[in-house]
Amino acid sequence: MSASGDDARPRRAVLVGGLSVLALLAAGLSILVGRDGGGPTLGFGGPELAEVILAEIRVPRTLLALLVGGTLGLTGAALQGLLRNPLAEPGLLGASSGAALGAVIVFYFGLATATSLLLPLGAVTGSLVALAVLYALAGRRGNVLTIVLAGIAINALAAALTSLALNFAPSPYAALEILFWMLGSLADRSLAHVYLALPLMVPGWVLVLAAARGLDALTLGEETALSLGFDPRRTQWLVIGGTALAVGGAVAVTGVVGFVGLVVPHLLRRAAGPHPSRLLLPSFLGGALLATLADLGVRLMPPGPELKLGVVTALVGAPFFLHLVMRPRAELPA
Amino acid sequence: MTLVAANLTVRYQTRTAVHATSVALAPGELVALVGPNGAGKSSLLKALAGLTPHGGDVTCQGSPLTALGSRARARAVAYLPQDPPVHWPLLARDLVALGRLPHRGYGAAPSAADRAIVQAAMQETDTLEFAARSVDRLSVGERARVLLARALAVQAPVLLVDEPIAMLDPYHQLHVMSRLAAYAGGGAATVSRVVVVVLHDLGMAARFCGRVLVMRDGAVVADGAPDAALGDASIRAHYRVEPLIGQHDGEPLIVPWRPLRNENAQQG
Repeated sequence: MSASGDDARPRRAVLVGGLSVLALLAAGLSILVGRDGGGPTLGFGGPELAEVILAEIRVPRTLLALLVGGTLGLTGAALQGLLRNPLAEPGLLGASSGAALGAVIVFYFGLATATSLLLPLGAVTGSLVALAVLYALAGRRGNVLTIVLAGIAINALAAALTSLALNFAPSPYAALEILFWMLGSLADRSLAHVYLALPLMVPGWVLVLAAARGLDALTLGEETALSLGFDPRRTQWLVIGGTALAVGGAVAVTGVVGFVGLVVPHLLRRAAGPHPSRLLLPSFLGGALLATLADLGVRLMPPGPELKLGVVTALVGAPFFLHLVMRPRAELPA
Repeated sequence: MTLVAANLTVRYQTRTAVHATSVALAPGELVALVGPNGAGKSSLLKALAGLTPHGGDVTCQGSPLTALGSRARARAVAYLPQDPPVHWPLLARDLVALGRLPHRGYGAAPSAADRAIVQAAMQETDTLEFAARSVDRLSVGERARVLLARALAVQAPVLLVDEPIAMLDPYHQLHVMSRLAAYAGGGAATVSRVVVVVLHDLGMAARFCGRVLVMRDGAVVADGAPDAALGDASIRAHYRVEPLIGQHDGEPLIVPWRPLRNENAQQG
């Protein structure tokens, strides 16, 4: 018998290497392809424009696609491991809807336009408040079920308050602007948005990755995890805190991009193996790849109003989710 | 290494599962923890493992278990709950390798020593033949043996197992009991460990264990060699059954024969 280290390691290296290469290729394409009123364009439209287009449009957009997609993939994989449920995803905890509400409040008081930096600040505040409420509701010793229920309550409350803001929007234009922002998009973002999101995303990733072994231990239930030296409460708050920070940062700059965190870990689970820890890095890379490709797809659409990225991921993700739910229960782990 | 519990009390919301129980466990002897349903066996085992809030103290080699860091405690005390969940379809050998987690650094792959220990643990539980099979394709009994191998793989000086043979066929019940006795060591063995096993099979307890703790209503009511702790009077009083007690090849044999009639038990 050869223990798993022998045959799983090279396969894992191939998976991680392959996904990295694909993500870089997609990023390269994403930098090459643009869009104007007449539909997709290739290249940079002349040397004098190239520098501006690269630095101010394509590079920030591509970087954000990689970072946001990676964040969603990583946190989705970690949450599925934590909740031991393949249907979990970051939106579940209320971090996304809290962030969206924060942004909407900033909009509502007329403090920002769709690309200003005040908007992300509002979103980050919203996601942190959502996390604080989650913590208050679920408590230090809250179990997974309490957390999921608290997340549902927060989502409902945030949606209600967002609707309230839309209802009383000062003008139809403001309401439309809010709605469009919430659809989730990477268009018209600058490097400043990258700098704003990164200081939230990086600590979030670190917290989530620190939970890796604890997630593996949780495979055998909370009691066994504790007996193996990995307190399930600690694992839980590492993953939830990290997710709130990283997803808060992501939603702050792009609006709500759904389903990436659900779909990516699912697609990779077979290749990466069932260990929750071995799924984290591949899901980060897979998320980065998927978001970059989806955003590229958005720009390749025929002339007309640009499709929002969040709309595309929802259109692809929702049927996928349905498919997962409809599968015979036997295929889902207990 | 010796495990000593003093005045151990485990309370759930309205119920006290273990009342001020004191027990000292020395290495080198397989100890059976027996008693009727709801007697507090599992609660006592969990408290001994430091996994449930409790009153009183558990000390391991003289130092309180709570003073150890969680990783150090995990290396010192291995624990196998009764019928634990397996949430992801790991390969059997990967599941057993989880027992090495307390010994491994962050991101480290299992070392050659880890792999040798995993292999040995699977050998002990007769699970090597399905090492490469996913655990969701194993029978309940096969899975129970893989989970036991996981606990053995920790190689902790204290091993606490909750009903490891309840799901096994007779061959593997006998096999696992003899391996647990060997794991406890004692006599000429080079390594000796504290091993406590919760059992319902009184015959197995009497045959393989050097010491039997009988629990009832949250307290240890009998403690000693099997012939004393599991004598006719003890079994009648604590289990409310009439036992058949005999011998075969010089080893004890206990068969619970029929429930005692109600007039013998106290009426409420």
